Amino acid sequence: MSDVRLPDQFRDLEPLAGLWSLPTEAERHDRRLASNMAELRRLYDALMPRIVDVLAYLSEFQVENLTPEGRNLFYLACSLAEISPAVELFGQPQVPAGYDSRRFIPAEGQ
Amino acid sequence: MPVEQSRMNIESTSDGPKWHSQYPELGTDPVPIEPYVSPEFFELERNRVFRRAWLCLGREERLPNPGDFFVKDLAIARTSIIVVRGEDGRIRAFHNACSHRSNKVEWQAKGCASTFTCPFHGWCYGLDGNLLAIPDEKNFFYLEKNKLGLTPIELDIWQGFIFINLSPEQSLREYLGEWADALEGYPFAANGATCYEWSTELRCNWKLLRDAFKEAYHVAFLHRRSVRDSYSGRKNPFSHALYFKLFRLHQRWSLPANPEYQPSPLEAIAYRYASFVLKNDFTREPPRGVNPANDPNWVLDINAIFPNYTIDMLENGYFTYNFWPIAIDRTLWEVRAYFPHPRNAAERFSQEHARVTYRDVIMEDASTMENTQSVIASGAKTHFNFQDEELLLRHDNKVLAEYMGLTNGRAKVRRSRGGNHVRRPAA
Repeated sequence: MSDVRLPDQFRDLEPLAGLWSLPTEAERHDRRLASNMAELRRLYDALMPRIVDVLAYLSEFQVENLTPEGRNLFYLACSLAEISPAVELFGQPQVPAGYDSRRFIPAEGQ
Repeated sequence: MPVEQSRMNIESTSDGPKWHSQYPELGTDPVPIEPYVSPEFFELERNRVFRRAWLCLGREERLPNPGDFFVKDLAIARTSIIVVRGEDGRIRAFHNACSHRSNKVEWQAKGCASTFTCPFHGWCYGLDGNLLAIPDEKNFFYLEKNKLGLTPIELDIWQGFIFINLSPEQSLREYLGEWADALEGYPFAANGATCYEWSTELRCNWKLLRDAFKEAYHVAFLHRRSVRDSYSGRKNPFSHALYFKLFRLHQRWSLPANPEYQPSPLEAIAYRYASFVLKNDFTREPPRGVNPANDPNWVLDINAIFPNYTIDMLENGYFTYNFWPIAIDRTLWEVRAYFPHPRNAAERFSQEHARVTYRDVIMEDASTMENTQSVIASGAKTHFNFQDEELLLRHDNKVLAEYMGLTNGRAKVRRSRGGNHVRRPAA
């Protein structure tokens, strides 16, 4: 099992958290670009059936008041947001024929 | 949203042009490409536009506390600027140049300081720009310290937006004029409590970037995989505008939403927590300052401030673009997404979904510019052919030439080679 912990009711998602509970946009985006569609679908298919419950949990906290486990869950949900255009719109990790997103630099810490 | 790569079955329901007839002074002729590729024109833009116009540097929330500063390198004006909130709470701007040997005083992009000390020889300035200390001062011959502060730059604030001007001819409010009236009252501070930023340098003329965000004709094509279905639809397949209004320098434009749009699975869930990128919340009354046509299918207003700033305003947040020329074929693009403060981590997730989706959409937009740049100077084409919905592009080109004192860009640019002097900034 992964050593990235999630809140008790979401512990079955911990294998994904090891890969995808990443604190910044840059890390999540890099992981998306480094993944193939099967890997993106694995996250999508595992998390989509749980995302309503995940958001219900997250809605009880401000980001800054999350426990370490809750924060990992929040980062995992952010990775679902990150990959959702690839899965739902594009059918590939990169924006098709798009500008090279690695040149589009997020400000630090977001 | 299904990915559809096949040829789209869309038919225009338009009755033909309707906007240009409201602005007959713009004409309808093809528009010359030369201003996008002429080095002489670019130098005139530098001297007659960017050294004269009010330029937006973002929101005052960037500097919440006394001592907070950021440095903006402004290649087009061949300077670097320190913007800092003083002990008195006032925000000021200075050229980032030491009075000793003109080295850059502040080398960090942002921070919080009590003084600015030049790394070269230690000359020290206060947050108000005054020169405070000179190491080994007695070894100088004659110095009037009170005249050796940082060189100030005119700065003013409208609705929380910081503007600077290197040689002002009118106040900021006069410059914004009637354009600003309708926007005042929009909750810029509340809807902008959270800001996410990106930047990139593109190998293209700055006007190609500007133009890309001034028409929705491209939505059905360039965005066919992403937001086509939210901004178009059966009733408005080419995303025809709900509203255009041209001011002397500035612009306003409203985009339609597709009332039949079906969000993607995650998008639909994110909407429950106040996301907004692709549609507005029709169940709420929109805030003041948006949807001037009061159209039920409104989604966003694009408000453009001459020469290089755009505010895309939605019900529940806004995006801004700065297009900063670096060279004739290099442009720094700064993008900021503004949201209300998220009340909880689920709302924060919703913002994350909105902003990364939006980021991917503008990666589609940005795909065209360097391609265009790679052929635009070939001479293969001499003119752009703008349609009715590309009204703002036509207006931008006309306003730019007029602001530079050119009634016919080509003829006057040629003459300028013969020593037609342009005014240098007083600073």
